[in-house]
Formats: sequence, structure tokens, C-alpha cells
Amino acid sequence: MSDGLNRIAFATVAFVLAAVWGLPFLYSVWTAFHPEKYSANFVWNAPLTLSNFTEAWQAAPFALYFLNTVILIVTVLVANLILCTLVAYAFVRYRFRWAGFLFSLVMVQLLISPEILIVENYLTLSTIGLTDTIIGIALPYLTSAFGIFLLRQTFLTVPKSLDEAAQMEGAGAWRILWTVYVPLARPVYLAYGLVSISFHWNNFLWPLIVTNSPEVRPVTVGLSVFATVESGIEWSLVNAATLMTTAPLIIAFLIFQRQFVANFMRAGIK
Amino acid sequence: MNARMRTALPLVMSAAIACSASMAQAADLEFYFPVGVNAPAVATIEQLTNAWAAQNPQHSVKAVYAGNYEETTTKALTAAQAGDPPQVAVLLAIDIFTLIEEDVILPISDIATSDADKAWIDSFYDGFMVDTMFDGKVYSIPFQRSTPVFYYNKDAFRAAGLDPEVTPATWDEMVEMGKKLTVKDSNGNVTQWGTRIPNLGLAGAWLFGGLVKSKGDGLSTDTGTEARFNTEAAKASLEFLQRLADEEVMAPGGITWGDTPKAFLEGQAASIWTSTGNLAFINENAEFDWGVGFLPGGDGPGAPVGGGNFYIFKDITDEERDAALDFVRFMTTPENQAIWSMATGYIAPSQAAWETPEMQAYSERLPQALVALEQMPHAYREFATFQRARVTQYLVDAIEGVITGGTDAATALAEAQEKADEVLGEYR
Repeated sequence: MSDGLNRIAFATVAFVLAAVWGLPFLYSVWTAFHPEKYSANFVWNAPLTLSNFTEAWQAAPFALYFLNTVILIVTVLVANLILCTLVAYAFVRYRFRWAGFLFSLVMVQLLISPEILIVENYLTLSTIGLTDTIIGIALPYLTSAFGIFLLRQTFLTVPKSLDEAAQMEGAGAWRILWTVYVPLARPVYLAYGLVSISFHWNNFLWPLIVTNSPEVRPVTVGLSVFATVESGIEWSLVNAATLMTTAPLIIAFLIFQRQFVANFMRAGIK
Repeated sequence: MNARMRTALPLVMSAAIACSASMAQAADLEFYFPVGVNAPAVATIEQLTNAWAAQNPQHSVKAVYAGNYEETTTKALTAAQAGDPPQVAVLLAIDIFTLIEEDVILPISDIATSDADKAWIDSFYDGFMVDTMFDGKVYSIPFQRSTPVFYYNKDAFRAAGLDPEVTPATWDEMVEMGKKLTVKDSNGNVTQWGTRIPNLGLAGAWLFGGLVKSKGDGLSTDTGTEARFNTEAAKASLEFLQRLADEEVMAPGGITWGDTPKAFLEGQAASIWTSTGNLAFINENAEFDWGVGFLPGGDGPGAPVGGGNFYIFKDITDEERDAALDFVRFMTTPENQAIWSMATGYIAPSQAAWETPEMQAYSERLPQALVALEQMPHAYREFATFQRARVTQYLVDAIEGVITGGTDAATALAEAQEKADEVLGEYR
């Protein structure tokens, strides 16, 4: 009996949370597909329109921006996965002088917000001539203290006996990393990849400051054209542009939903 | 001098001469601009910069969209600090003190020295030139300037038994007419407020400057070192805002800027105080008869001015500087001011622009556009000091504290004054 009550309570909480999360999204879908005057006016037979999307699409070179964003996040993600894995592996598997100190240095970096470093980073990029390039946007993010921390903690949970067994079989350091540690950390890689992609997909101020040409700018810069505070906000246009720029992430989530959830569950149980 | 050098020298010299000959005129400009109004502004900026480049084939100019005002300033300052400044940028007029303190801009009056240049600088309305000056020099050129006006729903005025051609001139009239304009349903809920004055954030502080002006005072002066918060005028202005809420003329509590035009279009407010930058948007979307008037004032009319100006940066070559000046002059010819003003709703900042046939036709089509111009003599500079962001925040906190927290106006303003004096003291 109490089991049934529990289930009902859980379901209710889940529905409420889903509604809280979903309503803004539903609202943006509503406004994006209707003319501006229905943006706070919910009439069932309001005429549907796609003109918000065409208008938004034409306000900035979005096709180019999408390509740039994809190049940017792939570059950052690949570099992050490789560099963070290697650093975390070294911290876990090797005992070396200053290891604790070095790891705390990495941790300190977590405390510094990237915005503070904008001027310094700009100066560095401008000295080496990389302002206004995609690699310039990516450079400060190629490695990540968070990624190192996350992977180090995961690698620490790998039983020592597995490592030793592999050594007995004659596997070298690279092979152990590749066949023992990396497969066991898969859920963490997936979770980290998700966080990293959504962070860089949304990053705005740094790319805006460090780039000048549409050829290298990401979608967020295109999206910001609609945040026209001075002359009131046209929600239908803003939301059409927002849906358009977030659509790839949402679609990717829907497609890979099963894997995401399964992996998070597994990571959580551990 | 050995033989090799003797043969090399003429070569090097001729190369240097050829190089300097081709460099004599050419400049590659970077021009940072913000967008504060709807998206077509980007297309118009590009159209204008391309026209300049076509007229000056030896130069090139790259128009760089740089976000909103704040982001554009951040971007320009970051680039300037890294020794890589844009040659030209449109930034807030009130950022003048920040830019001077960071030592990144050139006084335009120092480089625009010919008689034609001086006539050009003199061609702008005085109301827009006040905040371009510091220490007797002109540092910027007005470009995208705006001022708030009183938009009202004539149908709502008729329904309330008011003359739809007469707007409230004083605060008392505003309260009196506003009471008639506030409409409640049978349950006692308000369905239409008499008026709507945004009072939150920087926009709230901006409009507040207009209230203070109408009481014959100003929040800041042209020295950049003085904030005048704890004054009778400021106190009266804050009390007026409270009174509007107390007498049910305006919704109580905080009122946002961004949703104000929409509240007007949807009939939730019979009148609104907002920027001329909304003229085009309201004209396109209003389904009722609407008009524009002066902002109601305390002792007389009063309004703030706001918006962005052209700045020319330091640490650029002489060629770039000359080209940048020419570019700014081009962007502010009467014809181009007219194009920009009609595309965006900003007020063209010179008399000559209003006399172009295009603007004449425009103001006939949309006579509401002229009201802002007529209000200009009563407008005063927007709040600006050194450390503007910090000092303005004290004012914002004071206004919001009174509006939403019920703090006493005199206490809140005295506190803001004290904090502002502490910051500005070291600049005096």
C-alpha cells in the first residue's frame, strides 16, 4: 500500500519538475511558431507561421556560424579528451616528486573564472597572432582542470589488481591505459563530453571579444543580434532564433537519450 | 662600405620608397559597433560602410559587430590594452570618462582642425554635444542617439473621457489623468494601468535622470567627478514614482524596460515612457490610435538623452587616423544620418539631416518622430562619471530599494550619495 503511495508521490514530483523544466521550452516553441502579437496571448486557433525562422535565419550568416561552432567544439573536445586523460593517468599511476603540489595547482585553476583572464588571454593570442581564428577561441580551453579532476577520480576507482594483471600479461603503460582505464571510464567520458559540448556551444563573451570576422564566429554571436534591449524584446523572433541554434543539441539528446541516461545511471551506481 | 652593401643599398631604398608610396594613403580600418535595436540595424551599418569603402578604394573598412554596448566597450578596451585597438568604434556617449581614464581615445577636436571640420562638429544639436566634451575638447561624434517620449493610446484616452490630443504636462496631471485611465475588472483587478515608467536597472536610472531634469537639476556634471543624488530634485522624483504606485496609476513594484512596448501594444498600459527607438516597432504593431507627447515633468519638461557616439582610438598610424576621421564624417553626413535614423528610430543628431527630403517625407509619414526633436531643448545628459558602472549601480540600488523594498527615499539617496562620493573623491 505504502509502496503505491510512494510511487504516486514520486510520479507527482516528477511531473511537477518536468513541467517547471518544460514550460519555458513550450513557451518558446509557441512564440516561435506564431506571429509576435500572440506571444503572450494563447489562442488555440492562432495562425501558425514559419516567418520568424526565416527572418531570424537571414539576420546573420547562421550556416557559417553553425559550421564554426561545430569545428570549435570538436577541436576542444578532442584536445580535452586526449590531454585530460594523459594528465589524469600520470597523476594516478605514477608516483613522482611534487605530484600532490602539481595536482593542487590544477585544482586552483578551478577557482579562477575564465572571464578574469580575458585580457591576459587576448594579449597572449595577439602576441602569437592568433586573434580572430577558431584555434584562438579554442586555445585557452584545450585542457581543463575539471576534466583532469573528474578523470583522476575515476581512474582512482579502477582496482589495482586489474592494472597488475595487465602488467603480468606484459602490457605496457599505453596499452593498460587504452584497454583497462579508458573502457572503465566510459560513462565519465560521455558525461564530460556532454558538459563540455554544451558549455562551448553556449560560450559567448570570449568568442565575441577575440574574433572579428563572421568566418570564425560561433552561433551565439549570431544569436545575440536579437537581444535588442533598447527597443523592447520581440519574443517570437528571439525564441525562433534560440530554438534554431539549440536544435542540434536538443535533437542529439533525443537521439542519444537512451545512452545518456543509461550511462549516467551506471556512473551514479558506482 | 663593402661591395655587397653598395649594391644592396639602392635596392633596399627603392623598395622602401615603393613601399611608403603605396602606404601613403591606404588604411585598413576596423570599426566596432553594437546593436541595441532590432536586427536590420546590422544590414544598414554594412550598407553604409560598404558605401564609404566604394568611395575610397584605397582604404578598406571592416565593420565588426561587437554585441551590446557593454560588450562592445569590453571588446574595444581589451583590444586596446593588448595594443591592437579598433580605429573607430561606436560606444556609449557616457563611457567617455572610462575611455579617457584608460587613455585609449583621441580627442576628435584635436584631429579635425580644418574650417570644414569645425563646421561639421558645430552642425550637431547642442543637446547631443554636451556629453561629448571633457576639458574643453570634443571626444566623440553623435551617431545613434535616443531620448524617451510619452507614448499614449488615444483610444484609451477617449474611453476615459479625456481629450486624445492633450497629454499630461505635469506630474499632477499625470496622476490625475492616470487615475481615469486605470481600468479594473469586476473583481477589482487592474486590466489597464494609467502609465508605465520602467524603474529597474540602468534603464530605470536613465529615465530617472529625466525626472530630475524636469525639477531643474541634473544627476551629474561635465567634470565627471560629481554625482548629485542627494538633492531635493532627486528626492521629489523618487517620491513621484512612489506616488504613481500609491495612487494606482502605475503597477507597484519593479517595472522592466524590455517588456514595456509590449505592455502598451497589448493594452496593459494606457501610456508608456520609453525610447524613440521604439517608434518603428510600435507603428508596425499597434492596432489602436496612438500618439506621442513630451514626458510629463515636475516643474517643466525634462528628458534624458542616451545612446552611442563615434570614438577614434589612440595608437593607430597617421594614415589610419585620417581615414578614420573621414569615415566618421561620411557616416554622419546629413544623408547618412537620415538613412540611419529612418532604419532604426534613433534621432538624427543634426538640423541638416532633418532638412533632407528623405527626412521631411519621413516626418510627414510619422509625425510622432518630430516630438522627440521638439523635446530636445529640455533634455539633459545621461548620468556619467568616472567609474560609471559602479557609481550608477549605487543610484540603481537606491531607486530599486525605494520602489521594491519600501526604503525611505531620503535615506536611500543619502546612502547612494555617500558611496558615490567615496569613489569619486579620488578623481577630484
